[in-house]
Amino acid sequence: MRSPEPYLAREAPLTPLLAKELAEIVCGRALWTMLLLVCPLIGYSFVQAVSLYGEASASARQSPVLAASLSPLDGVLVPTFGAFYVAVTLLFPFVAIRVLGQEKESGALRLLIQLPYRSSTLILAKLAAVLAAWILASIPALSALAIWAMMGGHLAASETVNLLFGHLLYGLLVGAIALFAATIADSSATSAIIALAVTIGSWVLDFTLAGHSGVAAFVAQLSLTQALRPFEQGLFSAGPVLGIIGAIAGLSALASVWLPPGTPTQTKCMRSVPCVLAVLLALGMTTQIKQSVDVTQDRRNSFPAADQRLLATLRLPLVIKVNLAPEDPRYADLQRNVLAKLDRAMPNVSIIVIGSHRDAAGQPANDAYGEIEYSYGARSDVSRSTSPREVLPLLYALAGMQPPASAPGDEYPGYPLVATADAALFWFVGGLPLLIAGAWWWSRRPPAKSPFTCRGAQS
Amino acid sequence: MIPADAAARDKPCELLRVENLTKRYGREMAVAHVSFSVATGEILGIVGPNGAGKTTLLEALVGLLAAEQGAVFWCGEELPPPRRKEALFYLPDGVRPYQDRFAIDAMTFFARVYKRTQAQAAATVTAVGLTPVLGKRVHALSKGYNRRLLLGLGLLTPHDVLVMDEPFDGFDIRQTRTIIDLIRQEAARGRTFILAIHQLADAERVCDRFLLLAGGKVRGIGTLGELRAKAALTGGSLEDIFLALT
Repeated sequence: MRSPEPYLAREAPLTPLLAKELAEIVCGRALWTMLLLVCPLIGYSFVQAVSLYGEASASARQSPVLAASLSPLDGVLVPTFGAFYVAVTLLFPFVAIRVLGQEKESGALRLLIQLPYRSSTLILAKLAAVLAAWILASIPALSALAIWAMMGGHLAASETVNLLFGHLLYGLLVGAIALFAATIADSSATSAIIALAVTIGSWVLDFTLAGHSGVAAFVAQLSLTQALRPFEQGLFSAGPVLGIIGAIAGLSALASVWLPPGTPTQTKCMRSVPCVLAVLLALGMTTQIKQSVDVTQDRRNSFPAADQRLLATLRLPLVIKVNLAPEDPRYADLQRNVLAKLDRAMPNVSIIVIGSHRDAAGQPANDAYGEIEYSYGARSDVSRSTSPREVLPLLYALAGMQPPASAPGDEYPGYPLVATADAALFWFVGGLPLLIAGAWWWSRRPPAKSPFTCRGAQS
Repeated sequence: MIPADAAARDKPCELLRVENLTKRYGREMAVAHVSFSVATGEILGIVGPNGAGKTTLLEALVGLLAAEQGAVFWCGEELPPPRRKEALFYLPDGVRPYQDRFAIDAMTFFARVYKRTQAQAAATVTAVGLTPVLGKRVHALSKGYNRRLLLGLGLLTPHDVLVMDEPFDGFDIRQTRTIIDLIRQEAARGRTFILAIHQLADAERVCDRFLLLAGGKVRGIGTLGELRAKAALTGGSLEDIFLALT
């Protein structure tokens, strides 16, 4: 039974390790339970979203302007995947914790870490299992997209793929947090508490600090929920993407440091320091990356193409002083309609918010409240508008340029669809759960034939 | 893994040496300055009552526990804790690996990791008597069959030294004898065993040498004859010797 030839640790094949991790996660109840819970959750969200979209579409029959505002991304995809986001936030940590927690509790981890794999390899294999689990967990949401397409609904490839990619990154981030929690905690229950404290905690953070300014706004930016926002807005932003990937890599590295039980805690702490610093440095650098691509079909994050091209040629610094409180709805309008687009279109834009909560509360002393001052080069002008139709001509005037002629055929037609998806509820509460239960049963079937019972086997 | 020198396999010589291994839990000294060596093909029994520090000693030896002090040498060369898994494979007590999987899955996993042929894996399954339960889930195995599964996993590894905690726990007399024969066959092929055993009668049947451990300290080490001489008990059993020396 012993191998006469020397066995080198580096030669250990990865395939059995990956196969074992995938089988472990499929064998567990956590994944299947999550899938069964996700089905009605996503189904209800999808049916509701389609119903509301259908009602809005009925009103838009008579109005092309109203029709142009109907985008399946906002109307159907984001609400449907919003339910998936809730499930990933609340349930996926339990699935991800299982890939390590059960081995820790059963003692099998002490066998696993003796196998000829590095700790980092073991963690990456487990992360691969988490990815596979996320793919399986996303089946109900993907089936909702398929049903929408079969109903005649429009799906723009770029914005759909971008949204899926965002949810994938978010799922992996939650999985990496759970995996790290399972590494440092002694039991699965403690791991779940740690992971949920982070995921739900950041969710609460997002709710409570939304619309605040200053330190509160910075803290709100740390919420995991913020990671999904650009993807839901149809932006593929390099900064958030690299930031999430950096966080996943950092958490995986930390998990690798904390996995081996034979290393003293003090050593683990010392090895963690460079990991944490590297992650913080990477996150800090990614916040400085402004490159992003507007993947939406209606180009909602950009000005018309002719304006985009012209604005890109304005090389001097543009300084915008906004005398509005961040919680003022006008500031939100300005940010969405003008500031965010200018920031993407022009190479050098500085935005200074000088309004305060007291001003917004209606103190009479500040008559300038609501003014937005635009300074380009040596010239400046003031406006109170939050619409690009007024702001862009003002900017062109400051730069001494003529506004570009609007190109015909640029308008987004909108994709109204008068329909209901009530029948789809049968799929989400009946057909799909039955299929999932069947797949669960199939995954637990005993092996049909043993490869170890051949006659004449010799060591 | 680190292969023992081919010449070392042909004749008994020092394969592994442990020097001054010490492990504390707070103020309590769980293992105190333990030193011993083991030769190729030898079966060393670490014998002691419950709480003697056997498991702690084994886990510190294989690098699963951080020891405060001590060193391990492999063929005369120091083996730091992170590299010990290349030379030693440890089968802990009370582990049910991959509970939701079938016994055959666990065996297949180890066989594939260590690139065992189907024939080699089948021979291991037969040798440890796992065939009847290959199609059972690990959590459904009896204590004895779970122990066989662990032994089977250990035998699939190519390591020169197998370290086992309570290898006969859960076996009846007949099964214990079968497993003792199997361990002896493996030792005859050159594999070295370090076994932590609290049943002195079992230890006496299987081990070539004994390390008597009590309160985390070595109370005696040697063959049965050497320990008898130390305890001045001519013809005494291991139990008599243990009681005399501890």
